[in-house]
This record gives sequence, C-alpha cells and structure tokens, in this order.
Amino acid sequence: MDQKPTYNPTLSGIPNSPSGAYPNGNPDVPYNLPGARNTDSAVPLHRSKPVDHVYVCDGPAPGKLAFRWMYGSNIAAKNRDPRIQVMQYNEDTVVLRQNMCVHWEAPFTYLLFGNKGALLIDTGANAERLYYPLRETVDAIIARWAKVRGRKTVPLTIALTSGEDIAQNQGLAQFAGRPDTTIVPKPLEVMKRFYGLSGRWPSGTGTIDLGDRIISVIPTPGTHKDGVSFYDPYCDLLFTGDFIFPGRINIGNDRDFVVSLERLKTFVAANNVKYILGGHIEMMFAPGKYYPRFYTYKPYERVLELEPSIIDELIQYGREVQGKEMVLIRPDFVLFNGVSPDQKTLVWPAGVPNITPPRPF
Amino acid sequence: MNRRTFLSYPAAAATTVGLANTIAGLANAATLAPDPAPIDFKSHLPAPGSFPEKWICGSPSCMDNTDPPVHVHWYNAHTAILRQNKAYSYEAPFAPLYFGNDRILLLDEGFVQLRTDWDFRGVVDKCIDEWCARNGRDPASMELLVAFTHLHSDHYAATNQFADRPNTRYMGLTQEEMFGFWGMTNFPEQQVALDLGGREILIWGSPGHVIAEFAYYDSYTQILFTGDMFYRGRCYISFWQPWFDSMTRLIRFCDTHPVSHVMGCHVEMSKDGQDYAYGMTYQPDEAPVQMTVEQLRSSYEFAKTITKPGIYYTGTVFLCNQTRGTTTIDRNPYRYD
Repeated sequence: MDQKPTYNPTLSGIPNSPSGAYPNGNPDVPYNLPGARNTDSAVPLHRSKPVDHVYVCDGPAPGKLAFRWMYGSNIAAKNRDPRIQVMQYNEDTVVLRQNMCVHWEAPFTYLLFGNKGALLIDTGANAERLYYPLRETVDAIIARWAKVRGRKTVPLTIALTSGEDIAQNQGLAQFAGRPDTTIVPKPLEVMKRFYGLSGRWPSGTGTIDLGDRIISVIPTPGTHKDGVSFYDPYCDLLFTGDFIFPGRINIGNDRDFVVSLERLKTFVAANNVKYILGGHIEMMFAPGKYYPRFYTYKPYERVLELEPSIIDELIQYGREVQGKEMVLIRPDFVLFNGVSPDQKTLVWPAGVPNITPPRPF
Repeated sequence: MNRRTFLSYPAAAATTVGLANTIAGLANAATLAPDPAPIDFKSHLPAPGSFPEKWICGSPSCMDNTDPPVHVHWYNAHTAILRQNKAYSYEAPFAPLYFGNDRILLLDEGFVQLRTDWDFRGVVDKCIDEWCARNGRDPASMELLVAFTHLHSDHYAATNQFADRPNTRYMGLTQEEMFGFWGMTNFPEQQVALDLGGREILIWGSPGHVIAEFAYYDSYTQILFTGDMFYRGRCYISFWQPWFDSMTRLIRFCDTHPVSHVMGCHVEMSKDGQDYAYGMTYQPDEAPVQMTVEQLRSSYEFAKTITKPGIYYTGTVFLCNQTRGTTTIDRNPYRYD
C-alpha cells in the first residue's frame, strides 16, 4: 500500500479533536520551522558566558497558552488553588493570573524578558503579600530565567496599562525598594515624560527596550485617561489591560475610546498581531454571556486571547454607543458607556445564539 | 477536602450526630426530670435579648477567611440568629431559629446547597442540642420546622440538608406549597398563628419583592422579621403596589402590636449609609441588621412620595423600585471628560 505522508484525519489523528485540524502535526509543513532557531538549546552543560537570545523571527515566536485558567470555587473560603497561576507562554514570556478567590477581578500580569532586562506589565489587585505574593513569584521566575540564560542580574521595569486602575496597580507596593528595578511613574504627566510622549500624547508611540526586544508603548486612553497598551514584536502580542479584554469594558470617555481604537487599528495594520491579551476575563464561553462583578466562581469562562479583528467590531460598536448611556452586548465583549458597572440590558444582539449556561447549583 | 474524607464525610457526620443524640438522650433520661417544666414564653414581654456588636462580615481575601461558615448568635436563651459567612456566599443571609416548648422554627437556609460545602444542618443540630441540654429536653422529641421567608434560592438553598432529619417538616419550593405549609387560603391578608409550644409566631403575607413572601412576628422577643421586602440594604421591589400594601400592613401591625426590632434578611450598606454593591464579599463597616419601628415608619412615609421607578434612599434603606433588572447605585469611577 502506498503510504503517502499526507494528513488524513481518519488515519492520522483524532478527527474530532478539540484543537481542530492536525492534532498530531501536519506532515505537509516543513519539519524545521523558521521559529525553531529562536529557541535556545539546553545541550551545553556549562555555559561560559551569558546567552544572547535572537529575538528576530519571521512571524510570531512560538508559544502557547496551553492550559485552562483557574476558575475559583463555589465556596471561596475553601479555595486552595495557588494564589497566582503561572503559565509560561514561551521561555521569554510568562503570563500570571491572580486567583479570583483572593480578588474577584482576577487580573492578568505579564512578564517579558529581553537580553538586557525584564518587563512586568501590571501588578494585580492586592498589595498584601500574604494574600497575593506577586513579588516572590516574579523574583523566583526571574531567578530561574537568569540561571537558564547565565545572567547575574536582570534589571526589571514595571509598567502599568493604567496607573489609576486599582485592579492593576495595587501589587506595585510590593516592589518598593527592589534593587535594579525601574517603576514607570503613575501620575499621567510624569508617565508621559518617562515614555517620551510629552507633547506627543496620545498620537505618539513610546518604547521600552528590553535588549533586542523593543516593546512599543501605545497610548490608549478611553477606559482610563492614562491607559496605554504594549506591543511585543517578538511574540506578536498586544497587551491592552482594561482597554480591550473579553469582558465588561467600562468606557471612561467614549470619544477617546473610539479614537484610541482607530489609532490602534492603524498600529495593528502596520505590525503583525497574533493575539490581543487583556487584563481580565469576564465573558463566558456562551457568546454574549458574562459574569457579574465580585463573583469568585466562574467555571464557564471564555479563553483570554482575542483575535486582532476584534478591533473592527469594537470600533463599530464603540461608535454606536457614543453619546448614549447604554450597555451593548457583543459575543466577545460588553460595552458599558456612562452607566453603572452593574447596569443590565434586555437587548440581545441579533444573530447571536442566546445560550444560558446552567447555574453552579 | 480530599476524595477519602469527602466519601466518608456524610456517613461520619450522620453517625456522630446520631451518637450525640443518643448520648444526650440517655443523659437526659438518667439525670433530668421525665417531664421538664414548660418554659414561660408569655410573661415579662418582650423577652430581653441582644444583637452582636459586629457580625462576621467577610474578609479582604476570600480564600484567607478563617471564620466559621455560619455565625451563630444567641439573641437570648431561646432565640438564636444565624448568619452565613460572606466568604461562603456574598448573599450572607440571616436566619433566626426560634425555640418553643414543643417545636423549633428555622427561617431561611442560606445560599449554599451541599453539606460538604457548609454543614448548615450540623450547625442547626448543634444549636438544638445545646438548647435541649440547657433546658432538659430530648432533641429527638422536638419537631423542627424548616421554613423560609420567600421563594429565592439564597433563602432555601440548604433545605435538602434536612431531608433525612427525623421529626422535621419542611416547606416546599413552590408558592402553593408555601401557602399550604401555613394553611393560608387568603394570602396576603390572612394572619396565621403558629404555636411552637407556648410561643406564638404570627405569619402573614408580605408580597412585593416577590409574590410568595411572608412576614414573621415572634410574640416572645417581639422581633418583626421582614425578609427581603424590607432590610438594611437594597430592597428590590419587583411589584410596587403589592409592596406598598405590604408596608401598610406592617405599619398597621406595628400600630396594634408591640415590636422590639424590625429585622431583615441581609445587610448591604455601611453604618454611614454607603451602599455595598451587589456581590461584594467584604463589608467591614456594615450597618446593624436590626431596625427600629421608627425607621420602618419613616421609610413608609418616604415611600408614599415615590411615584416612579428608580432607586431611593430613605435614610434607612435603599428602595429599588422596579430597577433590579436594569441598574444599580454604583458609578464607573474612571469616567473623565
């Protein structure tokens, strides 16, 4: 029999695999993908000098959010999950999430490494180290990474997607006095100066150089007046905090919101973006359904990553709510403009299946 | 809880409780008079009692909460008030337990269903054992009535924990069964007197928050328990006219009966009148659960002026007139021009 090395779902894999096509790999694609050269080898036993990683690659660096996020407990007091869930996206990119039984906002925090330093994007919702040991966790990840790369010191920069957002700035206090650490100042004017954006806010773009991995800082006021987004050209990830995320987007200023989205659209058109990663998840996997505030048990959460095409949808519906006090539901986000964060609407979007997931009990 | 303790838990709990009952029963039989003197619930009224300075009210981090799942407070020797821990359910309802010579009345059963998640049944059994030990009664001889204020799951979630409890009757989860449980044929005006054995509980209809809701008046402590139609927080009024009529009924009752405290099922605001938003799990400065008749009356006077749906603060409670499905008090703190 002729054994053609071509993918045949009935013979070569699990046809109904949840991960879609080619669950066991695609034989029609070359074995040695371009991204492979960007991964360091673990073969050398004793490195003589620090590893300089190559952060240049065609397309996004390989990486994956391979696991399910923790989703709290029906009885929050009995939750015994880790206080911080750590997921390594790839060797130079780590995603951390706060346990929602410590704080219901369950914010995401991102740690990126370059040849000259590391960047921590956002700091979570608790200052108390006993409840939320962000400093210890980040220190341990940096120490491990430094060992792997043969580095003595890794300067750390801490930046916030919004200095005023108490769901993201509370953990900052834990880093006070940390050696080799630069904290981007919180007040808007000082922050602009830090990024070199004085006089160019919000149209300009700043940078944070991590050493061959230059993170772009894009002003995105709209949900917060001091909102910024970060773009990583290595993984092609866009970190948007409270500005774009799969949840209840509370618009702070509806004109800024749309203008920032349009500017971000231009940016995305000029740069490859694989995923948009926000600061929270509040949507369920049933389209248009979302968790209310303060919930500590969200077993039906949607995945974190959003496709960049979501920006077009956000612009369209951001314009629709402009000047109106209303809630607008879409499959992957809900816009709240000028209303209470608990406001509800009976208007269901046309063409979206209305599925009510079962209650936890 | 690991798999092994989970599997052995219900059986072990049942055995222990059963054993405790038997031992207590034997002790009673051996040491106590066979027919203890009845407790007098009719003289020197209202029976004095006290509320705690501070209830268990959650914690900044839920998973670090070390309080028990239920706060048990003995208002006086024959009245316990139970409150669910906010880290077990943000609803954290209050549930009174009234003891009579023959029967015990439990009003409301919290917002968590399973005994493995919170042993509400065990807490109630322990209260009953304590009371029986103090008063020379055999717990097995006391009938327990498991009832609730109204047909919402944060008030009856744990009822099925009592399904295998001997000498226990519990209210069904439909309007028909609820009215039938108290033998009502003319809801809401009909006033029913429930005799717990020398201690009388007056019950009548109090629709407005939901249709199927009762007001409970304990003639011993003279506490008027108003459920979710009037409490120290956001009274979600689904049906204005029935709610206003229920308020009128409460006021008329206060005109003709002595009332020591008015008490609702939740607290959702601080001492200085700040709203704790729906779902919050930490209320460090919460208002007391008990209210005065004056506060009820002034809220009623305020309610007379309400003509439109909306959220109103009466100085004691928030009246959310037909707004539950639409909005709340909170504002987005990050709005700017």
